[in-house]
Order: sequence, then structure tokens, then C-alpha cells
Amino acid sequence: MKLSLHTPPEVPLEAEIISPTSLSGLSEAEVSALMLHHGNRKEALGEFFTVSGKMNGRLEVEGDLSFVKLLGRDMAGGEMIIEGNVSGHLGAGMRGGHIIVNGNVQDWTGEDMTGGTITVNGNAGHMVGSGVRGAEQGMQGGQIFVHGNCKNETGGAMRRGLIVIGGNSGDFTGLNMVAGTVIVLGEMGIRTGASMKRGSVISMKPARMIPTFSYSCTYKPTFLRFYLNYLRELGFEIDDAWLTGNYQRWCGDAMALNKGEILLFQP
Amino acid sequence: MSTTLRIVNGKVYDPINNVDGAVQDVCIQGGKIVESVPGDAPKIDAHGMVVMPGGVDIHSHIAGPKVNLARKFQPEDHRYDPHPGTPFTRSGAGGIVPSTFATGYRFATLGYTTVMEAAVPPLSARHVLEELEDTAILDKGYYVLMGNNSFLHRMLEKGRMEEFREAVAWWLNASKAYTIKLVNPGADEQWKGDKNSNITDIDQKIHSFDITPRKVIKALIDAANDLGLPHPAHIHCNNLGHSGNYKTTLETMRTAEGRKAHITHIQFNSYGGEPGKNPISAAKEISDFINDNPNISADVGQVMFGESVSMTADAPLSWMLRHVKERKWINCDTECESGCGIIPFEYQQHIYTHALQWAIGLELFLMAKDPWRMVLSTDHPNGGSFMNYPKLIRLLMDRDFRKQEAAGLNQKAMAKTSLLDLDKEFSFSEIAIVTRAGPAKLLGLKDKGHLGVGADADVTIYDEQENREEMFKTARYVLKDGQLFIKNHEFCADPVGRILQVAPEYDKKIEDEIRPFFDNYYSVQFDNYPVFDTHVETEVVPTYPLQ
Amino acid sequence: MDNNISGEPNIKVVKNATCTFCGCVCDDMELTVDLDQKRITKAKNACVLGKAWFFEHSVDESRPLARIDGKEVSLDDAIEEAAQILVNARFPIIYGMSNSTSEAQRETVKMADLLSANIDSTSSVCHGPTGMGLQGVGEPTTTLGEVKNRADMIVYWGCNPSDCHPRLSTHFTVMPKGMYIPNGRKDRTVINVDVRATATSQLSDLFIQTKPGSDFELLWALRILTRGGRLNSTIEEQTGVTIAVIEDLANRLRSCNYGILFFGMGLSMTRGRHYNTSALHMLATDLNEHTHFVVKPARGHGNVTGADTVLSWQTGYPFGINFNRGYPRHEPGEFTTTDILTRGEADAACIIASDPIANFAKPAIDHLKKIPVISFDPKPTPTSEMARVAFTTSCYGINTPGTVYRMDDIPIPLRPAFESPFPSDQEILIPLIKRIRELKSVSSAAA
Repeated sequence: MKLSLHTPPEVPLEAEIISPTSLSGLSEAEVSALMLHHGNRKEALGEFFTVSGKMNGRLEVEGDLSFVKLLGRDMAGGEMIIEGNVSGHLGAGMRGGHIIVNGNVQDWTGEDMTGGTITVNGNAGHMVGSGVRGAEQGMQGGQIFVHGNCKNETGGAMRRGLIVIGGNSGDFTGLNMVAGTVIVLGEMGIRTGASMKRGSVISMKPARMIPTFSYSCTYKPTFLRFYLNYLRELGFEIDDAWLTGNYQRWCGDAMALNKGEILLFQP
Repeated sequence: MSTTLRIVNGKVYDPINNVDGAVQDVCIQGGKIVESVPGDAPKIDAHGMVVMPGGVDIHSHIAGPKVNLARKFQPEDHRYDPHPGTPFTRSGAGGIVPSTFATGYRFATLGYTTVMEAAVPPLSARHVLEELEDTAILDKGYYVLMGNNSFLHRMLEKGRMEEFREAVAWWLNASKAYTIKLVNPGADEQWKGDKNSNITDIDQKIHSFDITPRKVIKALIDAANDLGLPHPAHIHCNNLGHSGNYKTTLETMRTAEGRKAHITHIQFNSYGGEPGKNPISAAKEISDFINDNPNISADVGQVMFGESVSMTADAPLSWMLRHVKERKWINCDTECESGCGIIPFEYQQHIYTHALQWAIGLELFLMAKDPWRMVLSTDHPNGGSFMNYPKLIRLLMDRDFRKQEAAGLNQKAMAKTSLLDLDKEFSFSEIAIVTRAGPAKLLGLKDKGHLGVGADADVTIYDEQENREEMFKTARYVLKDGQLFIKNHEFCADPVGRILQVAPEYDKKIEDEIRPFFDNYYSVQFDNYPVFDTHVETEVVPTYPLQ
Repeated sequence: MDNNISGEPNIKVVKNATCTFCGCVCDDMELTVDLDQKRITKAKNACVLGKAWFFEHSVDESRPLARIDGKEVSLDDAIEEAAQILVNARFPIIYGMSNSTSEAQRETVKMADLLSANIDSTSSVCHGPTGMGLQGVGEPTTTLGEVKNRADMIVYWGCNPSDCHPRLSTHFTVMPKGMYIPNGRKDRTVINVDVRATATSQLSDLFIQTKPGSDFELLWALRILTRGGRLNSTIEEQTGVTIAVIEDLANRLRSCNYGILFFGMGLSMTRGRHYNTSALHMLATDLNEHTHFVVKPARGHGNVTGADTVLSWQTGYPFGINFNRGYPRHEPGEFTTTDILTRGEADAACIIASDPIANFAKPAIDHLKKIPVISFDPKPTPTSEMARVAFTTSCYGINTPGTVYRMDDIPIPLRPAFESPFPSDQEILIPLIKRIRELKSVSSAAA
């Protein structure tokens, strides 16, 4: 099934209903009749989108969706391909399936995510896979692949899963991390891993450590080769040197459990 | 907005008037219960339903500075439990610490129409009164913290008991409070002045004062009795939460020397065992004493499993809990008056101490010979949200359910209690006592907690169901001052409740003593401290001072 | 309210009046008021900022009470127009609130709820990150009187109260004698940490200058030492402070009897924002293992604390709140006003006693200029002058009674100096809400 935006919303459109899971088994007419929150009003999906085709587990959404929030919320399976830029909370609470965005996404991508995969062929905003304000844990499973750059607090308080940033990440990458893996192929901002308990943050570029991380060793992590080959298959540009090279291992955060690690590639 | 109405065919439970399930009419006019109304008056057919007075909660934390800090610092608590508005009601946030309007609506949905906020420093009186004004539906009042008041400590030190009592009366008027609250008396001085230490013995010297907690407790119990407050001194004992603290609790109750006193969330103060070691149940020792001493009343402070928020003026307790699990923690000192601690906390079935606390609370309910003096509370949200009341009621009314729940708990703990030997099941009438009639009587609210002629027409009607938890979860009809505002489980109006205060008389001369103390040690002007009468509308509940 | 009348008939003296200029909310003002001129001529006990606040407040009776597109109209017409704008908007935003009484703030939140609007206070551009720090890690704190009575260690971090809150030190914290501080200043150690020397450094016993943007690292270093760890030398390069100085500071903090860390936007509005304040809160929490330690943000506007407080009790959240779905949601960055405007999401705005046109970044201002704006303000501001509907209001504290919340959450009553010909925010909000309710034909039972 395909949803094409014919009338861009004037104010934010909360479209959590748009996901393969919640549209499955519905006809074009039924989908057009579904109500969305347009600011403080409810309006029919058909007011904004042209609906075509049958729902067979694969959903295409196209248009300038930079005012469209919460796409794919609680998605449990299937595939959603988005052509265009989207607003915040993409794939919030996602449990399964695959969201592919050919464009940029705003903040809170994959918030409260427990499973499934989000691929962003563009840039992402703040708090990719990060916990909501006040919460003790963020992303609890699944994978988020951002081929461009992202902003601050990537993987904040994440508990399980994999986040890969092809470009650069902002400050506080892996903030409050409980477990899981964050790989940044480009440069990270400052204060990586602040208050992290466990988990791994890996970068291919040098990074400034905060004072509560201590250097443990330089080694060749075998597991990383498997990760990087996997990422290469996914279309990330992986330098051969990264596969066989040395990595500095830093432990922290001493202000938390001190069981986290930051691995930095040594050219 | 109040109507003329006749409720017919319902089973009425009105213990104060010795009505125990009789099918009889309840007539309402002018916001009060009346003898009868004209035959053509509108009727509610309560066939198959149970009619009770509106619920009365003697101890919950629903408004004021610490409650609001707990709201503010837990967006994750509200996020997954929004409280949408209706054409009749305001929206809000739910969770364990709901926003003010939501708190009122949710209490009302359970059939409660009067709730008392348990602990506020007088310096924040305006704050709590503004929040109570914004707490929907309910009649309410609040207890003002005096057990750590520096000025009162000084009066005690000098043995100036006359001035002490006058000052207490002045403070009650200045803060428009309902009664005197003590929380871990003397401990704030240790906490703030002696590097976070605590009181461990009610006969130890209070840091930087030449008095003991016992002296503070005695003086405030006496003051409340002498001033003839409708509800006596409301006491959160020293050593709360520590193994072996039942001895402190017994000593505190003995200190009353036969005069009226209320010990709150007493479950948290009914632990045997050695300090620093695992607690055991001392419910029997506590129950025996209360059964034999009619001057003492208590509310249980039942622990319910799941997330809770510990919010208390007992700052050292909060600090202790933070060492149990390092979660985000708030401390807030109030000059010359109080401390405060807030920390999210989870009660878990498999943990020995938590299971034991759960069992001790139920033991206290079931061992009480006089349910009028051992009433229901969870110390919301400390032992768990008030939204747990229906489940708690089922635990009291349904022995099999109790045993079934106990089977899922830490069995080492169960073995250390007599809970499973207690076969008592509460009747509707006893539930009406511990949730309505009892608290109303203990609060001295003569027109509440019953359905006799002249009572406030706060009435709750439940569908009678085998599953008591389901039954008490949502009332079918609720009336406040005669106005029907919940009809078939849905809000149809948003009546505004009253704020209740006491105003005991005092000798104005005491202000000459208090004013210089303010000039020296407070950060606000003496003349700006008392709540202006223009600030908020309140109803004064009469006091009956000893002559 | 009992105002003390004395002197000639046209002169009134108001004792125990409250200054609502900054978050100190000093309530010991003695105002001499010329009732004929409607001016305050003396303000005993006021600081230099307070005097300016009181003396500069004169009522310009010639100013229209209500305007639409700059043209004078009746109050009713303006209320009708404002109600129409707000009711027809799909994403109305309400912003400001911090120079308004808590009574008016309560009405403002009611209006937001009724409109299913977005509501936010100036917190989101000052100490919002402090609130987020609180949400993340909690906070040990206190009322100002306890600082006066007990604090033997006062740290001013990234703030300059001597210029911004002049009486914080002289009236509440550093100078006064207290219950356990018999000699006042002599019994206290005052430390100032900042990126540059300020007037506050001069009253301090110790000034520690840090590299800009290295607060987090320095706070983290202090946490290590507080927890008995050791520092490696990189910290000197990162913060510009020597290990010896950091260790000395850590020792002083740990060994005091009652310490407090005051902080300002030097922490909450520099790189790291809410995690800078989190770090400071965590340091204070760690210090409580050794002694008694608290923190306190030095809040700016007179009642910005009241805005946080009222929003929290009515919605559960302190700022950045959205009612679009008929219940409050909170998401800093999503529902905070500057972010909404920068993304161009709002279609109407109601600005209460605030001046975003003068303060916001250009992209936000550009969008604000594209949508209908309703403004409440006692004085002409760039915002009120560009507003579609502009109400002239009386000034809280000077003309309007009510309650404001001091920076330490303590409610303080207001004793107005003289009557204004203009209505208060509240006196406009009440009929406006009534009209909105009629237009939305919501049952009047809802309140």
C-alpha cells in the first residue's frame, strides 16, 4: 500500500496510526477514513494522503513529512518505506519490522523501541534510541542505522540493541547507557559515555575522554570485525584498516558502575 | 446545584447509625441528608447496589511543595497514564503522583469525597492551599508540621508551656491547617545541623537543643488536647522503617498518658528484630497496646506491591532508602520548620522486607479489636497509590484471595508472620468503618462518614459484585453535598469542595515573642507569613478547648 | 489587604511590600507612594535593580487598554477577537507567565487546557535545563532561610548574584547572621566558580576561573575526589584549573557543616545544559555522604518559579507542555516555544507578560511575525507593538495583589502600592476564558 502526501499539514500531524501493523487488513477507503491528530483537531487521513494499493505487509509513505510525527509507533512487523523527511518520534515503541527512511528524521527516533530495525538514509536529530525525560532506560532492543549524522544523546540510557551512526554523533553519546552497543564511524562530540553503567561505544575517530574514564589497553577486538563486516553488507563504508586495526579501550564511567567501555580505533 | 433526591432499593451501610445492609431509602435535600422528600422527588434506583457515605481518607499526600516536587521530577510517571478532560472536567496527568485535578477525580471515582493532606510546613501554607483549591470535587484540609519547629523547641527548652500552647494555636491560625503533624520529631536538627545524622531514641538529646523527642511529642499531644482540636496530634514516629522500632512506637503511645493521639501509617513502625538486621513482625505487640488503650487511634499505611514514591518530611528516612537503591533523590530543607525527602521506590513480592511489610499491614487490620481506631490508608503514595484501595479492600474481605496473594510472596517473610493464621474477613460494615465512618469520627467531622439526618449528602453507590476489587474500583453514582456528579460511572458535573481548617483562639501577646524570632531566623517578613483571609476561602471546623 | 496608611493624604507608605523584579522576591520593601502622581517615590531596602523596577513604573493613562492591529478598541472587542483567534487555531501556543501572579498563571493553564493548546513559560529559555536535570537525577535543596541560618560554605557557580540578584548575598545568604552563624560573613566561606571574574568574585574568599564550557568536566572531577578517587593530569588542560586547586576545593566542600551550591545560566545555558546541572546536582548528592549539602538555581524573573510550580500541579510537568490531545504531554525540545516557532509549527500565539520578539532567535521571531499574536503587557514592548491583539495590563506586585513563588518555591504575598486604571492579567483572562468556553460551547460545569 502507498500513502502519498497531497496536502502538507499546516501544523504537526500525529500519525502513529500509519504503520504496517495498524493498517493491515484495511481497504484504501478504510485507511483514508482513519482519524489523525492535526494539532488539536482530528482529521481524516484522506485529507492529507492519497491511499493506493493493498496492504500486504509493505507500506510506502511519500512526501514532505517534516510535520508528521510518530510514524510507525508500536509497529510489530512488516516494512515501511518512507520517501522524504520526517518529524519526531519515528518508530516509538517499535517491536518488530523494518522502517526505512530515504530522508532526514528529527528527534527521538526509536524512543522506547524494543525490537525491529530503523534505517535512516540521511541525518537524524537528538536522542536516537534514547530514553524519554526522567526514565531510567531508553531503547530496549532492535537496531537503528543512521547513514548520516546525528545530534546529542545518541543511545541515552539504552539497555539493549545496536545503534550505528555512519557519520558524526553529537555530545553525550551513550549518556547513562545501561547496556547495548553504539558504533559511530565518524567523530563523536564531547562527553561520550557520561554516567554509563555498561555497554560499548565504538568510534573510528579520536575522542576526548571525560575524567572518569580510565585507559585499560590497546587490542584487536575480534567481535568488532563481525560487526563491521555486517555493517559493510548494510552499505556502510567500512575501511579495511578498521577490520584488523588496534583499538584503545577505555573503561567507565567511574561515577556509575564503571563496567562500560569506549573503543577508539588507532590509525 | 444541589438536588432533591431519593435513593431507593439500595443496601445501606451506615455504621455510625447502626444500619448494616438494610434496604432503606436515603433522602437528600439542600446538600444534606433529610428525613424524607416529596414522593415526586427524582429517584435513583439502587437495586442490587450498596449505598455508603462518601469515603474519608485520613492520611494521603496529595498537595503541597513535596508532592509537587514529586510530580515535577517524574515525567516518566505521568507519561503512560494521561488523564483526559471531559466536557465537565479538567484534564491532567495520572501516575503514582497525579496532578491536582486528576487526584480529585480519581479519588471521587473510588467513591471518596473527603481527603486530608498529611504533612506541609507552615512556610508553604499558601502553596498547599492553592493546590487544594485546584484539587477537584473533594473536601480537604491539611496537617501542619510542628514536630521540628525551632521556635517551639526553644519554648520547650525554657519550659514555657503556656507560650508553647499559644504559639501552636497561632501557627494553626496563621497556616489555616486542620491539625498538628509530627514527623520524626527532633530529627531535622540532626539531619540539617549534624551532617545528616538521625534520632534513634526518643529520650536522646536533640542536637543543639536541650530537649528530647519525647518532650516534643508530649507537649504537642497536650497542646492538641488542650486546644480541643477535632483531630489530635497526628504522629509519624521516630525510627520509622527501622528494625526493632515497635519499641519506639510503644513508648510514643505511652507518652500520650491516656490523652488522645493518632499514630499514622503505623505499619512502618511495627517492626521487631535488631536495628540494622532483617525486621520481623511486631504487629501483635502494637495491636495489643492499641486494643487496650482507647485514647490511641491509628491508620495502617498498608504497603502494596509495585511502584510507589516515598515522599516524607522524614529526610533521614529518604536518605536511608536511597542507599537501598540509588535512584534519583530529592531533599528539601525548610528553615526552622522541616526537612523533606523524595525518592521513587518499588515494593517487590520476592523481597523479604517488602513481603513482611505487606503482611504486617494486613495483620494490623485483622488483629484490631476496634476497627474504628485502626483505619485504612496506604500513606499514599508511600506504601502505594490510593488507586490500590480497591485491591486492599478485597484483601480484607476475601481470605482466599489473601492466601492466594501470600503464596506468591517471599516465603521466609510469610513464615515470620501470623497472617495466614488470621481467618477474619471484613464485612461491608467493617469496610464502611475503616474507609468512612472511622476516619470521619477520628477527624471530628460530625457531618461526614454517615447518612443520618443532617449529615452532608456525600454519598457513594457501588454495584454489588463478588469481586470486591472490581466493585470498589468505580462507583456507579457519587454525590457531593447532594449534587450527583458521577452517574453510571461517568462524570456529569464538577462540584467544588471545601477547604477545612481550625482556628483555635490564642492570646495575641504571643506575636511579640514570635516576631523577633522571625526577624532573626526566617527569610520572610513576619507580617507576610500568616495566610491572608483574602487568599483562599476556607470553612472553620470548631474546636472545644478545655476550660 | 492591610496597607499601612500614614503621612499626608496623597502619600501612602506600604510596609512589607514585595519586589517582583527578580527571583529573590524580597518582601521587606517599604514603599512611599505618591497617589496623585501614581508613582513610587521611595523604596526602602530595595536594591539598585529593585529601585529601578519601582521608580520606573509609572502608569501611562493615555495608553489604550486594548488594541487590534494597533488601533484602540473596546475591551470586549479585543476579547472577542482574541477568543476567535485562539478557538480557530489548530496549534495555538501560550507563552510567558513568569511576570504574572500564580492566580493569573492558574487561569492561564486553564485556558490552555480548554483550548487544547501548547503552554510554556520562560523557564524553557533560562532554567528549563535545570528542571530536566531534576527529572534526571533529583536534587538536594533548601529554602533561603536555612542558608542564612546554617550555611558555612556558599559556592556561586556560573552565576553573578552581585549584579543580577544583589540582595541574594546581602539579605539571604552571605552577609546576614543566622541561628548557627552568629558572626554572619565571618563564619562563612564563599567560593565563586566562573569563566570570568565578576562583582561576585570580589565578595568571595576564593575565585576559581575555568575554561568556557568545561563546567561539566570540573564538576565530574570534584565528584571523583568526593568519592575518594584520583585525577589524571588531563583535567588541567580540559578545565584550566590545576589539580591542586581542584583537590583543595573538593576538601573544602567535603569538610564544611552545611554547604550550598548556587548556580545560574552559566551552567544551564552553556554547552551541556541539562547535564551540566545534573552534574552539579549529583555532586551535591555525593557530598551528602560526608556532610549536609544542597543546591539552588538563582532564578531570574519574579515569578518564573510560580510558573513551574503551577504548571506542575495542574499538569504534572514544569514547562514545555502540550494539550493537543486533550491531556498534557511534556517534551522539552518538542513542546518548548522556541523550538516550536523555529520549526514553524504554531498558528497562533498568546504571549503573557513576556517579550519573545526582543529575546528569541531570528528564525523563531520570523515565524511569530507570520501568525496572529495576542499580547498581555503593562508596558509597550516589541512584542506588544507587533501583536494583532494587545491588552495593556496592570503590573503585578505594584498594582496587582496575589501570590508569587520565590526562587526557593516559597509563596510570597503581594501588597500593591497603588491602583492601576488597567486590569490585571487575571481580570482579562477570566472573561476571555468565558468567551472561549461559549465559542467551544463547552458545558459551564467544567472548570
